[in-house]
Amino acid sequence: MIKLFKVKEKQREQAENASGGPPVKKQSAGELRLHKDISELNLPKSCTITFPNGKDDLMNFEVSIRPDDGFYLGGTFLFTFQVSPIYPHEAPKVKCKTKVYHPNIDLEGNVCLNILREDWKPVLNINTVIYGLYHLFTEPNSEDPLNHEAATVLRENPKLFESNVRRAMAGGYVGQTFFPRCM
Amino acid sequence: MKVNILQWHAVASWTWDAQDETCGICRMAFDGCCPDCKLPGDDCPLIWGACNHAFHLHCILKWVNSQASQAHCPMCRREWQFKG
Repeated sequence: MIKLFKVKEKQREQAENASGGPPVKKQSAGELRLHKDISELNLPKSCTITFPNGKDDLMNFEVSIRPDDGFYLGGTFLFTFQVSPIYPHEAPKVKCKTKVYHPNIDLEGNVCLNILREDWKPVLNINTVIYGLYHLFTEPNSEDPLNHEAATVLRENPKLFESNVRRAMAGGYVGQTFFPRCM
Repeated sequence: MKVNILQWHAVASWTWDAQDETCGICRMAFDGCCPDCKLPGDDCPLIWGACNHAFHLHCILKWVNSQASQAHCPMCRREWQFKG
């Protein structure tokens, strides 16, 4: 311990001498934690992660999900992640860039997933969020909808819901809304 | 036989007695420190909740003081209370 305290004293002196000088750029706590999350990712084959701004900007990235089961089989859906410097004390901000006919994703790309909102807690990580998103495609749920029309159809007429999803993914209109092809 | 000790050198090691290796919030080693600190040990202690989950003191304070936490343990969602 004696050595440690000496180190500390020295650091304090250095900090005092350096005050006024330009601050050294240092990784934020959020970046440190995110770096660990990324290096420990264990994604299913259907999910891939990319860093459009290169490896210097880990805090903004994209995840593409290609469900291998369920209504959305064969579609590809792109999500953007924005991670704040106070991560993991705040959930990442996730948006869906692909226009999708889905009860829990609205036409602006807002995503309704409990762990991104009220159930976020800092022991969760990027891997759990991606699994949560993947789960939305295999188990869309009509109980907590953002797209109320899609939710009603899913609840009352699953056959029609299925054909609406196929039509939207192939590129076409569902009601008045056009969906670009995403297969 | 008589021995004269001319010099001796003591070495000690320490470790936190937690069940996990790393803090669930910052994912840094318990025997290291939280990302806001420079030195481990007494300056960046561990703290246990009544639910027996341990975190860096600084990490759990930051979490339970935030709006989002509703003062729940990030592991088990039980109400966070410091172990007495």
